[in-house]
Amino acid sequence: MTTTTAPVQTPPRTETRGGRGHALARQVVSYVVAVLMAFVVAGIIIAVLGHNPFDAYRAIVTTSFKSGFGFVETVHKWVPLVLLALAFTIPLAAGKYNIGGEGQLLVGATASAAAGILLADLPVYVLLPLVLVCGVLAGAVFAWVAAWLMDRFGINEILSTVLLNFVSFGIVDYVASEVWSDPAAGHPTTIPIGEGGLLPLVGRPPMHLGVLLAVLVAAATVVVMRRSVPGFELRAVGANSRAAQVHGIRVGRVAVGSLVVGGALAGLAGAIEVAGVHGKLIEGMQSNYLLLGIIIGLIARGNALAVPFVAFGIAVLEVGSSAMQRSAGVPSEMVLIVEALILLFLLFSDVVGARLRRSSR
Amino acid sequence: MTENSSPGTRPLLHMDGIRKTFGPVVALDGVDLTVGRNEVHGLLGGNGAGKTTLMNVLYGLYRADEGTVTLDGREVVVREPRDAISHGIGMVHQNFLQVDTYTVTENIVLGTEQPSWPSMDLKGQAERIAELSTRFGLSVDPLATVADLSVGLRQRVEILKALYRGAKVLVLDEPTTNLTPQEVDSLFGSLRAIVDEGMSVVFITHKIRETMAVCDTLTVMRDGRRVGTVARRGTTPTELAGLMVGDDAMVSRVTEVVTAGMAAPVGRALKADAYAAGNIAPERVVVSGLVAHNDHGVPAVDLSLAVRGGEIVGIAGVAGNGQVELAEALAGVRATAAGSVSLDGRDLAGSPTATWLDSGVAYVPEDRHRDGILPSESIVENLVLGAQRGRRFRSGPFVDWRRARQHAETSIRAFSIKTPSASTPAAQLSGGNIQRIILARAFSHEPGFLILHNPTRGLDIPSTQFVYDRTRDAATSGTAVLLVSEDLDELTNLCDRILVVYSGRIVGERRRGEYDQYELGHLMAGLEESA
Repeated sequence: MTTTTAPVQTPPRTETRGGRGHALARQVVSYVVAVLMAFVVAGIIIAVLGHNPFDAYRAIVTTSFKSGFGFVETVHKWVPLVLLALAFTIPLAAGKYNIGGEGQLLVGATASAAAGILLADLPVYVLLPLVLVCGVLAGAVFAWVAAWLMDRFGINEILSTVLLNFVSFGIVDYVASEVWSDPAAGHPTTIPIGEGGLLPLVGRPPMHLGVLLAVLVAAATVVVMRRSVPGFELRAVGANSRAAQVHGIRVGRVAVGSLVVGGALAGLAGAIEVAGVHGKLIEGMQSNYLLLGIIIGLIARGNALAVPFVAFGIAVLEVGSSAMQRSAGVPSEMVLIVEALILLFLLFSDVVGARLRRSSR
Repeated sequence: MTENSSPGTRPLLHMDGIRKTFGPVVALDGVDLTVGRNEVHGLLGGNGAGKTTLMNVLYGLYRADEGTVTLDGREVVVREPRDAISHGIGMVHQNFLQVDTYTVTENIVLGTEQPSWPSMDLKGQAERIAELSTRFGLSVDPLATVADLSVGLRQRVEILKALYRGAKVLVLDEPTTNLTPQEVDSLFGSLRAIVDEGMSVVFITHKIRETMAVCDTLTVMRDGRRVGTVARRGTTPTELAGLMVGDDAMVSRVTEVVTAGMAAPVGRALKADAYAAGNIAPERVVVSGLVAHNDHGVPAVDLSLAVRGGEIVGIAGVAGNGQVELAEALAGVRATAAGSVSLDGRDLAGSPTATWLDSGVAYVPEDRHRDGILPSESIVENLVLGAQRGRRFRSGPFVDWRRARQHAETSIRAFSIKTPSASTPAAQLSGGNIQRIILARAFSHEPGFLILHNPTRGLDIPSTQFVYDRTRDAATSGTAVLLVSEDLDELTNLCDRILVVYSGRIVGERRRGEYDQYELGHLMAGLEESA
């Protein structure tokens, strides 16, 4: 009764590699074009404001590489940026939006500072790991609150993560001005953590070892996302959560997990800021890392491998911005405009690229 | 039968050299179509042949790149459906666009200009609609609310809507989908009444049997081209099958699909020998007292059944009688509210979906794009989906992507998946190839229980035949197969035993060779067992 199957056709397997290379080239071109366009447009704005755009750009691009100090400053800036960008992109891969990176960073920093102050006398090989682990755990738990609300009650994670940021501001304010306040600082700041809680410094000018930690975390993220079973399940949920569910993946659990891991990385960023940069908890230490992390994640198009490189580019711009203000008189906020324009032109290139591809065929 | 295309009469409708492209895809390549007066004109072809696209051009839903439309000897330009309606072209789509909370009359009148404007003379219109419905044998209560009507009645409303607007050419897109055989007969009777009154009907179908039953003339399409126009009286199903498939070598392989249900009376002619083997095999799947809720929390399924190893059991019924809930509950995707589902003696009810998969349940979902694939991921990843934790593709915490790729390349060959490479995203493939991926995945688990839900919907002819062959292979190797389908011909062809569901309950059971489709239709309509 069984008839023979449909004709056996060997699929054409010619342009596999070539097609891939072509797509990569197109990606690179769109990035380069977007960056150039952003600089051109921002340059026009700078010129209209009455400054010399070439001086401004020279300051931006060279500061990070002209001196060792500039480079270390850039790398130190890179650490929280890359971690917050990953805290955004990992849940994004499952289709969840973590807009609570700064809250998780601050709560992580608070927990690290608490451990570092309370147990200030412990030796470095005990206290330092403790400080870092406390930051990671606190960030994870803080993100889990939003994830639990989402999983249990269906509360939108965008809203809850954003609102929890405000909770974290309250926590930092309380801890820095009531609990372990340093009255000499003139700004809500805690007393320094114990010596043993500080990340070791290497080289000259000194660079803290949190940088190495961030490199390892970023590399591990790429491997986990691409190769591992949880990474595959995460991508499956992001690609089509319904199909993932039909095929036995526990979608709710994966989504919660992705937010908790994101929170842990943001918490690690907070811990490194405390243990490597400030040595204490300072109100406002979150800077605008959340916003930049989201911009980095979006410019990288959610690709974990691209995140560290994009983050480095943004760190260069950020470090260069104050030099630009000093040498060319251009307000440092101009850099934010450049970053926003890069993102906009990148999105624009998608539209144009799709049009071109359609009309060329 | 009236065949009064007297010499010298111009054809009612003539489409000339219609070409339509969607980006790089040529959907219609210079298609001609001539519809005479007073005829039911069949537009026959497999899925993807361009039948619906051609009619959407006629109805103004698509703008043709090239070509002209002549109606009653005058060239007409149709830019949107409103133009088509004003020229006397009416179309009944597969998905009805109706306001559920309105009555039949309100739905039909909606969007037309009323002479009594701004007041509405609904009563007068209801009378006119009642008159139309008696004249054409399309009986439906003009005052009934559309939400309460069955699919068959809703279709009548759509036909009445076109007639009410003065259609001279009525286009019906696959109108027999989801009708019982009785409803199909009644529809065909109405079509004859419509052409007898001077109108013409274009009848889109992929079933040769239907064209032979109702059409006067037939145009066969394949790959966006017209491959032939023949008079029904001068042709045979075999000739039509040859035209539809094109490749002579292929015809013999796919005859089962194109001539589905041709044997008359259907079902009785098929031998019962296949069933004999299944009859003695042990029951592998036992479902007892299964209750499953629909998305609104209302019980939608309440039944018991059993499937033997090597047996193909069909679930027949009009769509919306609990088939979705049944298929999902048996696949472990939807929670069971009560009852048990056991495979080889192990009760799976209440276990997580992954446990069902691991136990050997494989599910080919109805909506393959929504439930079946990860569109942005490659074929490799799509084939691993569901098995990523299994021993086969895992090494430690990692997926063994090298083995996964080898598996994908083997599957691409074994299932004849047409793709540039194994790393092509699934979304770039055609529906037939996506279905092949889903089948490859289902079979790679060596299923003990295979659930297929409308597995050939929207597939081209070779892919449909492929699904049939693979399903039989699965049964031959001892798998218990449950085929949930709304296509009676498909069920008749494949199944050893058919269960008819109505409102989530089994209302009848028939063995291969012991029924005809009218009996099934009777049961599907919810009427009591008469025999």
